Amino acid sequence: MKNQMKKIFSLLAAAILLLSSLALFSCEKTLPVIGINQYAQHPSLDNCRTGFLAGLAEAGLTEGKDFSVDVQNAGADDNLNAQIASTFASKNAALMVGIATPSAMACFNAAEEKDIPVVFIAVTDPAAASLTEGNVTGTSDRLPVTAQLELIRKLQPDAKTIGILYTLSEPNSVSAIAEYKEKAPSYGFTIEAVGVAAQSEVPLATDSLIAKKVDCFSNLTDNGVVDVLDSILEKTNAAGIPVYGSEVEQVKKGCVASAGIDYYKLGIQTGKLAARILRREAKAADIPFEAVTEYEIYLNETACGELDVSVPADVAASAVKADA
Amino acid sequence: MLDVLISALTQGLIYALLCYGLLISYKILDFPDLTVDGSFPLGAAVTALLITNGVHPLLTLPVAMLAGALAGLATGLIHVCLKVRDLLAGIITMTALFSIDLKIAGSNLPIPRGVDTLFTLPALDALLGSVSLSGKKLIVSFVIALLFKFLLDLYFRTGSGMLLRAAGDNPVLVTSLAKSEGKAKILGLVLSNSLVALCGAVVCQEQRSFSSTMGTGQMVLGLASVIIGLTVFKKLSFVKLTTAALVGSILYKFCIQAAILAGLDPSLLKLITAVLFLAILAVGSFERRRKGGGARA
Repeated sequence: MKNQMKKIFSLLAAAILLLSSLALFSCEKTLPVIGINQYAQHPSLDNCRTGFLAGLAEAGLTEGKDFSVDVQNAGADDNLNAQIASTFASKNAALMVGIATPSAMACFNAAEEKDIPVVFIAVTDPAAASLTEGNVTGTSDRLPVTAQLELIRKLQPDAKTIGILYTLSEPNSVSAIAEYKEKAPSYGFTIEAVGVAAQSEVPLATDSLIAKKVDCFSNLTDNGVVDVLDSILEKTNAAGIPVYGSEVEQVKKGCVASAGIDYYKLGIQTGKLAARILRREAKAADIPFEAVTEYEIYLNETACGELDVSVPADVAASAVKADA
Repeated sequence: MLDVLISALTQGLIYALLCYGLLISYKILDFPDLTVDGSFPLGAAVTALLITNGVHPLLTLPVAMLAGALAGLATGLIHVCLKVRDLLAGIITMTALFSIDLKIAGSNLPIPRGVDTLFTLPALDALLGSVSLSGKKLIVSFVIALLFKFLLDLYFRTGSGMLLRAAGDNPVLVTSLAKSEGKAKILGLVLSNSLVALCGAVVCQEQRSFSSTMGTGQMVLGLASVIIGLTVFKKLSFVKLTTAALVGSILYKFCIQAAILAGLDPSLLKLITAVLFLAILAVGSFERRRKGGGARA
């Protein structure tokens, strides 16, 4: 019996030792650490991250000299997301960066005790996510809904209904749908929104929108839907229905056009903001979050041609070409 | 450094509640209960809704437990009365709960910093004074984990608790005592899922948010923790099952924390969990074979 107790204690001790050595090892660097918690792996969020690092560089901070970076990806797993954030806090990160709403919320919660500044990227509605008060700031990727509606009207003068797919559990999508429904009538559109509870339901929801004979689809920055855009486009292309994206990567994949955000630029903007905090020129608490005011019109001429969408000359002239 | 340990320990203590639940369904009843993936976020959804509407953080706990109990009851009734297989009964309830959780909370729901949670109660300040927030989190989760451990230990000694244990080990005995095995199973599921929902409620308050996907994989996580605990204490008959579950939960969180600290690719984390899980089961089965015993894991 005694021997067994010894065994167990040595096992426990080994586990704790292993953990300690790992922690010590990773704390060796004395540079201020920026902990980046990216919620999932998809091109828009990757662009946020690379843009953010570029923004820090543009602001004159060099990785390895002025700061070091600890990048973690939560793989859309909420438990992992929380644990990554608390690990950053335990390791006394100088700054925590949350990319996408769930990661931003997890970082902000974990940062509470030590009052570590938190910077978020790509949070659509910071107020709804309770990210407006406290030592936190960042950039919002609120969709330019009005510009998107204007764009659709120009490209499809006869269109009446716009179909939108969204994930019920994403607050950013829920608020965007509300905005669409509010603004659509002034452009002569009605909105057919279909919410899904899980990503696996997207194909069925797509079919139901096609069956309702919507004139086009418009995308939100909905993680669940954007992830499976290729399968949506396969169906809509077969049915001859144009899809409007919410940012450039979606247009590259085959959406006809988008009045959208460039997430790389959003990242740069956030990186510059973070540089001010790292240099102690300003406190995150004192900087209000910045919304994107600039957006671009992106155009995929190949897709427009295939779906017989005629692009007016003025739109074609001002748009950024984003063919695959 | 100490912070990292405290944070992992706190997580382990909180998730011990989930492990007690799985201890009842998996170890005692031998019931692979997938309801857990739905009752965990159910507890969180109820808590997030109540707490953002000004309900006292402590009061949300019994309500969450009640909600979890109803989920367990549903699975139990589906299994016992409709004779649906155990795994399927759990899957049915879990699937239904996904919609119910979303309806309760609206969508993913944050708890703003201005709202007090279990861990930031004014009463705690008076009691603990200047202890840091992570210290408070550790103390509160320690108290909750121990409290429910002792309550369960007490319960297992009552007549009803004994019957529950018999229902898993020896259903024939239960029937011969003129007691219904079905009733015992339902009771076990109710108890188990109320603990799981309680865990969801505490996690929700700790991370200040409810998300509809937070239940995914909780059953496997809890199962892995329970099995780690049971394997570590296998030879010590005097160690209570609840203690094994508690230690298992802490060890599991330590392992995950170590993996994150080592900079492991998070997309591999689930695979590593599975391998760890398999290794423990394989070692257990190997040892049994060597001794010629026939007990199950």
